[in-house]
This record gives sequence, structure tokens and C-alpha cells, in this order.
Amino acid sequence: MNLSDSLKIVIVGHVDHGKSTLIGRLLFDTGSIPEKRYQEVADTCRRQGRPFEFAYLMDALEEEREQNVTIDTTQTFFQTSKRPYVIIDAPGHKEFLKNMITGAACADAAILLLDGIEGVREQTRRHAYVLSLLGIRQVIVAVNKLDMVDFCREVFQQAENEIRAFLHTLDIVPTYVVPISARSGENIAAAQGGTVWYNGPSILSALDTFENLRADTRLAFRLPIQDVYKVGTRRIYVGRVATGSVEVGTQVTFLPSGRATKVKSIERWPQGGAQVAGAGESIGLTFDEEIFVERGEVLAPSNDLPIVTEEIKAGVFWLGKRPLQKGETYTLKLATAEGSAVCVDIEERLDSSTLEVIERHAAELHGSESGTVIFALKKAIAADLYLENGPLGRFVIEDNFLIGGGGTVRDLTAAEGSQKAQVIRLDDHFATEPDGNMIDLTRSRGSIEFVVTGRFGDRLAAGERVLFKLRGPKQIEPVALLAYEHNFCFTFSREEDFIALVLFSTAKPATQTAAADIAI
Amino acid sequence: MYEHLDELEAESIYIFREAFNKFDHLAMLYSVGKDSTVMAHLVRKAFFGKIPFPLVHVDTTYKYPEMIAFRDRMVKEWAAELVVGRNEEAIAAGMGPEQGRMRCCEKLKSEGLAQLIEQHDFKGLFLGIRRDEEGSRAKERVFSPRDKNSEWAYKDQPPELWDQYNTSFSADTHVRIHPILGWTEINIWEYIAREKIEICPLYFAAEGKRFRSLGCMPCTGPIASTASTLEEIIAELRVIKDPERAGRAQDQESDYAMQKLRAKGYM
Ligand SMILES: Nc1nc2c(ncn2[C@@H]2O[C@H](COP(=O)(O)OP(=O)(O)O)[C@@H](O)[C@H]2O)c(=O)[nH]1
Ligand SMILES: [Mg+2]
Repeated sequence: MNLSDSLKIVIVGHVDHGKSTLIGRLLFDTGSIPEKRYQEVADTCRRQGRPFEFAYLMDALEEEREQNVTIDTTQTFFQTSKRPYVIIDAPGHKEFLKNMITGAACADAAILLLDGIEGVREQTRRHAYVLSLLGIRQVIVAVNKLDMVDFCREVFQQAENEIRAFLHTLDIVPTYVVPISARSGENIAAAQGGTVWYNGPSILSALDTFENLRADTRLAFRLPIQDVYKVGTRRIYVGRVATGSVEVGTQVTFLPSGRATKVKSIERWPQGGAQVAGAGESIGLTFDEEIFVERGEVLAPSNDLPIVTEEIKAGVFWLGKRPLQKGETYTLKLATAEGSAVCVDIEERLDSSTLEVIERHAAELHGSESGTVIFALKKAIAADLYLENGPLGRFVIEDNFLIGGGGTVRDLTAAEGSQKAQVIRLDDHFATEPDGNMIDLTRSRGSIEFVVTGRFGDRLAAGERVLFKLRGPKQIEPVALLAYEHNFCFTFSREEDFIALVLFSTAKPATQTAAADIAI
Repeated sequence: MYEHLDELEAESIYIFREAFNKFDHLAMLYSVGKDSTVMAHLVRKAFFGKIPFPLVHVDTTYKYPEMIAFRDRMVKEWAAELVVGRNEEAIAAGMGPEQGRMRCCEKLKSEGLAQLIEQHDFKGLFLGIRRDEEGSRAKERVFSPRDKNSEWAYKDQPPELWDQYNTSFSADTHVRIHPILGWTEINIWEYIAREKIEICPLYFAAEGKRFRSLGCMPCTGPIASTASTLEEIIAELRVIKDPERAGRAQDQESDYAMQKLRAKGYM
């Protein structure tokens, strides 16, 4: 990862706030558009009797120009003295959200465009939310069209305050907020004297500070197996290194099969014999012994494995024509693994513009909506949490042959018998609520192991009681085991959507801090 | 160090391998131009020296003889299988650009290609189009579904997220796969120089002219140029003011000419 790599940026924002114009301007100011193409656009505009539209450089389809709206996402290219850029134009219209997300999904960074006079609008919110879903953290807010108010500082500040407040609710802190005019070029490549009161960077210099995050060698090694080729007498396992790097001799494990081996060679054509391969590279591998595993397995260092799971909880955005339905079976594709997945619950259905929860435990998620969804997999796969490893923590859902939506993994249930039990240090989970002690396990999925420290034991021995909020009966067993090993007692009751278990010690006669005192 | 060209290469290889895993009847359109010659190199990288599906050339009978000679030589060198398709009926009826360039492209190229797809029952077809060539290509997906009439529903394309592509299709469709969609013209030339890939000689200047884009003789003209080495071509492209396909007459026929051709199955 370094700054000489290319950077992919997506331009998002409400319809008509100036996305296509900004891109046209970036291309113009960096000299990236052949003059003839300019002439072409100028001629077309003249023939149609309208002023020069920078937007036409991106909006190439007839329907886009006639209706003055971007329909599909495009990529164009420009170069600064620092590095090459790929710019992704995303349609602002709600109807074309699938195209917007298609464009945004591969971006390292985003420019969120805001018409300074109109301020935050419906698609501003929806797009910002998509950025947060996709985990895009490098964000520039560009407050546009300030030429229309003579670059009035107050107008800019008002827009800045409004957008900052909104982004705050999404946990997005914009790296820069830049006052611009895409049409006149103010603060695109450089200041032009309109915003004398602003001394931050222009859009281009702000972009130059961002990092390419598409091939992260700092993370743990992950190679989703794409295919196995027989070349001569050798079996070569091919794939693209998702994250991290691998060396000849590394001790590795395939998951979910659990086969462990050592990397014998790294294969490329025509020159073989590399010792190391890093994130982003498409390579082949051979191993010390004959191994038979298939596409869909993930290769990882034996000491730093992903989780083998049969249940995924994810933030899902749905783009399909038909709604995502609870109880239906779909094909889920994560890295190179794919298999049947039942949508077992739509825990929350969100209005992706206002971000309000429309419904809990919903039956359907409609096109352009998003929510928290749980999928149960027919066959276990290897995955990571999205926040820990992007490429292994994201997936798509197919409906009727086509990609219908995408998801980012928030939580994983380790499959039965897989080695990873979640270790819970009771001291860390101990929340002393105003009316009692509580340990909330409703968010923990999969098998659990407790680590008991002296402090926890002491408090129980002193007669305190602890309420465990459990997500289901499966979690009773590990708590029961804890009680057995430490000679505690417990009672439990079934509540609406959890189990309330109260743990206490009878070593000393309990004073009357009865269960009634405990918050449920 | 992992640079921009390395990333483009790795992504293209990934796309070839994805398609190879997912589709049985694959073919690659080999137009003899620089882009498809680079693709052939990438295929050999992906499959350790082999080209494991046929190369397809749609012959309009209007190609430059140097192109045909280069095609036959390379196919032999790569030990690849070549399938040549022609719309014989239209050729016999005397189809040519004088009957209208758009009509000629539609008959000899789009229809010629559609016939090949039907005859061989190809389910996936690799094409070397690039986003920076022209506006409607810029809107393409990497895996782009076509209906049984080869039509492209450009107003309603399915989403394509991260490196997950649409690879399941109903039986009466085929898919166009675009492994070098994200490359620019300069990337192609830089890669040719880096990998020392042999390219059709028409691209190099002779007597003050060279071809920047190769097509049919009546509709493709050379540009004025003295660039006779890869380095000179790259230097020329950095300052050139014309778009790449300026020498292609069919593109200039009308506004949106390419979009209209491509909606009906043109490459
Ligand atoms: N006055 C002014 N108009 C602008 C500016 N940027 C864009 N516009 C106009 O706003 C309209 C919508 O711009 P466009 O780029 O198509 O917006 P998009 O829908 O976000 O892509 C067009 O008519 C532009 O000319 C600006 O900085 N100042
Ligand atoms: Mg637009």
C-alpha cells in the first residue's frame, strides 16, 4: 500500500447537485480529456441549443442526455503528478440505486457532493448511508454551486453544519469539507479567488492524501481458492490474494475443510519461482503434499484463521426487482464460496433515507431498502467480519440468476465442532446497571467459553447477583457449566426475545437483593 | 512493488479464471488489434501458457491483409484454435459500406457474430472493449448479459458488486465478458512494452502514418504519425488531442451511433 498506487473515488450526492459536472471539471483541469471529445460535446450541446454541459462527458447515453440524468455508473480516468485516479460517477436517482452501489462498492474514497443552497436532500442521506454500509471512511464533502451566492461564507457554513450533523449519526467523519463551484472551477484543482475565507485543500490536493485500500497487505493472509488446474503432473491452486501476503514455506490451513499443509511454490507464467505474493495478485500455489480441496475453500495462515460459519448476520442492501423474503432460499456468494442460504430473519428493515427502522422481524426487504438480515447456510463456509477483513466479510445474494443484493458481515456463528469458541472474559462484559449487574450475551453467536477472574468470583461471593441476558436456550449450557465449576446457583425465565438467567452464590447466605431488583 | 499495471493484470486474470470456472462454452473474440492481442497474453498468464478456448474472428472480408497474416501467425505460435465466422449470405448479396456504414457493421459484424454464437452455442464470449474507448462502453459491466437476440439492456443492467459477477444465466442467453474494461489505451501500450508482446505491424508508423485503431479497410484510416517504436507511441498518446476511435468512420455516423450499434449486439 502506497501513494503511487491508483486511487478509486466515487462521486455521490443528490440528483442535480453537480456530480457529473464535477467530474467533467476534474477531467478538464487535469487535461485528461482529448480536445476532440470536448468539441464533440460542445457541438452536441450547440445542436441541441443548450449551454456547454460538462456532464455530457460522462452522461454518454442518449437517454441520459435527453433527460439530463445519469442512469448508469461510469468510470473514467485522470492522472495527477502523484498518481492515476479512477473516478466513478454514480447516478443520484433513487431508481438507479443499484447502479450507484455497483459503482461505489469498489471505491477507496468518496466525494459526497452537496448543493450549498439546497443542503441535505433525500439522496444525500441515502448515499451517505451506502458509504457507511460499504465501510468507506475516506470521505470529502464538497459544498457545490457557491458561485450562485457569490461564495458566501455563511451559506457554506450552514451547509457544512447540516451535513456534519447528519454524517455524525452514521459514524462518518468527513476528512475534508471543501467549498467549491464545479462549474467555475473554484477549489477543484486550486483556489481561484472566490473563497478567500477558506484555507483548506482543493479537491485534488485532498484526494492526493488518501490511500489505496483495495489490496491491504497489513491484514492476515487470505486466499479464496478460485480453481484447481492440472498443469503437466502438478495440481496448481489458483486465486487472487485477498489480503496479507504469503511466502514459500508458510504453514497454511484450508477452511472449511481444515486441511493443513505448507506452501511449496508460488506459480506465475511465464516466470515462476517467486518467494512471496501479496494482496491483489492473481497467483497459483502448489503444496508439499497432494491435497484435494475445491473452489470456495479459503487458504489462511494456520495461526490466524477466519471463522467457519453456518450462520451470518449482515447489513444487507437489497437491489432486486423482487423483494428479499424471509423463509426463502437464495444463493449466497462470499469470495469464491457459494451455496444455498435461507433468509431466516430480517431483524430490522430500514428506510435507507431517514435511517429509521420501519419494521422489526420483517417479512420482506424491498428494492432500495436495507436492513439487518440473518442467513442460515446449508454448508459451512469460511468468512471474517467485514470490519476486520473486507474481502472475506462481504457477499452477494443471487435471486433469479442475477445479483439481487449485497451484504457486509456483522456477526458470525461459528459452526458446531469448529475450533473457535467465543471467549468471554466476564470482567469485561460486566455492566453495572443502576439497578443491578448485567451481562448481555444476546449479541454473541456460536459457542461460548467463559473466563472467570477473581473479581467476578468475589462479587458473587459477596452476595451480589448477576443477570445474564441470553439469546437462546443454547447459551444456558455454558452458564450452567460455569455454575457447576464454581458452585454457583441460577434461576432462569423466558422473556419475549431473550432468556433472563440470574446467577448467584449460596456460599454466603444471600441478602435480599432479590431477582426483583434486577433490571430485565 | 504492486503497481497500477499489476493490479489491472491481476484483475483481468481473475476475470478469465472466473469465467473459465463458470461457463462451458467459452470463446474469445480475436480482432487482431492491440487489445485482443493483450488479452491473448493475459489468457496465457491465467492458464499457464495455454489458451483453453477457441479464438473467434468475425471476418468482414474488408480486413487489411497484414491483419490476416498476423492473425494466422499468432494463432499458430500460441497453439490456439481459431474459428472464423462470416455472414456469407450478406457477403454474397454484396453488403458493403456504400450501403450505409451502420447497416454494414450490423450485417457483417453484429450479425456475423450472432451467427457464430448460435452455430457453436457459445455461452460466454470475451471481448476486449475498454471504458475509455467510447461513452456507451464506459457504461458496461464486466459480465454483461445478452438476450437470445444478442441485445443489451443498457437501461437496466444488473448490479455487479466488488469482485462478484453475474455468472448464472438462463439457457437462452449468453454473456459478454469484458476482462480489460478498466484498462486505458495508454495502459495497453505500457503493458505491451513491459511484457514485450508482439503487435500487428500496422500500429507502427511507416511513411508518416500509422493505425491507432484497426478495423475494416473502407472505414478505418491511419493517423499522421512518426511513432515507430513502443516508446514513441506512448509519448505520442500522452499529448494527442484526438480520441482513439477518431479514425473509425462508423463511430462518426451520427450522435449515439455506437450506443445504437452496441444495443443490438455490436462489440
Ligand atoms: N451555477 C452552478 N451550476 C452548477 C454547478 N455544478 C453543476 N451545476 C449545474 O447543475 C445541473 C446539474 O448538474 P449535474 O452535474 O448533471 O448533476 P448530477 O445530477 O449530480 O450529475 C447542471 O445544469 C449543471 O450545469 C456549479 O458549480 N454552479
Ligand atoms: Mg450525473
